[in-house]
Amino acid sequence: MSLNLKIALAGEGGQGVQSVAEIITEAAYQAGFQALYIPNFGVEQRGGVSVAFVQVSSEPVSAPKFTTGDIVVALSHRAVERVRQYVGEKTLLVYEAGLEDDVRQVYGERQRRLAVPALAIAQEEMHPRVFNVIILGVLVGVTGFLERRDVEQALERQFGHKFAQDPDLRELNYRALERGYEIGRENL
Amino acid sequence: MATRPVTGEQRAFMTGNEVVAWAALAAGADIMYGYPITPQNEIMHYWTRMASKYERGFLQTEDEIAAGFATVGGVLAGKRAFTATAGPGNVLMQEAMAMAEMMRLPTVVVVTQRGGPSTATVIYSQQELNLTCFGGNGEGLRIVYSPSSHDELFLYTIKAFNSAWKYRFPTFVLGDGYQSKMREPVTIFDPEARGITMEPCRPMVGLPGLPGEERDPAHLRNTYNLEDELYEVLMTAIKEYEAIAPQVVEWDTYAVDDAELLIIAHGVVSRAARAAVVSLRERGFKAGYFRPVTLRPFPAETLRTLAARARNLMVVESAYGQLKRQVQAGLYGLETPVTGYLRPGMGITPEEIVEFVHAKELI
Repeated sequence: MSLNLKIALAGEGGQGVQSVAEIITEAAYQAGFQALYIPNFGVEQRGGVSVAFVQVSSEPVSAPKFTTGDIVVALSHRAVERVRQYVGEKTLLVYEAGLEDDVRQVYGERQRRLAVPALAIAQEEMHPRVFNVIILGVLVGVTGFLERRDVEQALERQFGHKFAQDPDLRELNYRALERGYEIGRENL
Repeated sequence: MATRPVTGEQRAFMTGNEVVAWAALAAGADIMYGYPITPQNEIMHYWTRMASKYERGFLQTEDEIAAGFATVGGVLAGKRAFTATAGPGNVLMQEAMAMAEMMRLPTVVVVTQRGGPSTATVIYSQQELNLTCFGGNGEGLRIVYSPSSHDELFLYTIKAFNSAWKYRFPTFVLGDGYQSKMREPVTIFDPEARGITMEPCRPMVGLPGLPGEERDPAHLRNTYNLEDELYEVLMTAIKEYEAIAPQVVEWDTYAVDDAELLIIAHGVVSRAARAAVVSLRERGFKAGYFRPVTLRPFPAETLRTLAARARNLMVVESAYGQLKRQVQAGLYGLETPVTGYLRPGMGITPEEIVEFVHAKELI
């Protein structure tokens, strides 16, 4: 399968965009793809919008950052505006459903988009801390290049020490991943 | 002795800073001296985390001036010593590196370029080329490698120790913030498994025996009284540097044979340059790519041959002409026009390069 996928993710510090980027590239690497992940690590790290650049490809990845993403993820009010430069005509904009008004204002009606009610699902059905894992699931579902098993293994590598202390946390994360995955698949 | 840090070959997915720490371990580095600065910090972090397991040393100094001189001291004591720094830290280290140049000390410095001048950004640039190649009050008798991938970061960190100890010129690995912070696949290896033998290190101070009777006295100088005295020492070093340059110099090319446009870049930017060439070729444009792997010595001769065949040259860098000046100096007298896509402190993508090529009608 020939693949060349560019994803930019942005959110507030603490929303977990860097973890999502790390897990998805780790899973891609383990599944035999070329992968490159670079965080925006300026002073923004300390209280600003956190941006992650992810590339997965069948060929070695060239430059670490890119001009236009295939998928751009915005998880906060400020992130919606911040990622504008990476959104092109064909870009799929994935965003937290609560940001609908912001997205409309910045991108109008025509942008390819996928609103994910991740905040509501996390708060009402699961736990606020798995917000980013729902987004991870959506990306896995919508891109379709990873098996869920690959992602679960990457989750284990990232959070295994926490799962060991609290096995319920594993179940919670897997459930969040599954829920996001279904949303992603429906919109594939 | 603890077990070897790396056995055979191992695939991994890690950041460039981790790669450097693993490479220094695999190369048998004895000690790192350092002072924290972004984006270099994690080299120190990973080194300190792993060093004690393999009986290696670490000393955090009070600043980069001290880190540079402590590295010089470690080398004088016969240790495979290194340090890592960036930006203003690289500026402060120049005095010690000039001393290493004067005394022919095999220091190794890993530089992770950040935005400049001064504190500027902690992120990324290619603005430390001049500083790293020619930073001292001397002639730039240094070896400077510019890797472009994690595989190369690993290889050239190992190689830096060997070139330093073999040729006795201060040696640098010129990375950057992007390479430091990005994760990509890498194969790390035990140098022996690839047939690389580490150059032996020997002390220059504290030698056994009575000086003058049982052995020659160690005469280590960075101060000279007479002009002629200094001149003689310098010219010996310069001639040796010129003599070893052909063995040290390295470059990389792609699709150059019939290239009408030659795109020249180094380090991480060369990945975008190569991708731009691939994309231009796919659309039938005769573009090629040249990358100096060593910035000092600079592969001017090879570049000259290729440049003479091209109609246009384009230098792409995340600095305002630091590489372009080296290119133009190397190509002096050649009439092929040189255009720069110069973006100080900014990352460069293949798409931007292709767009610039067409906008300037370089092909």
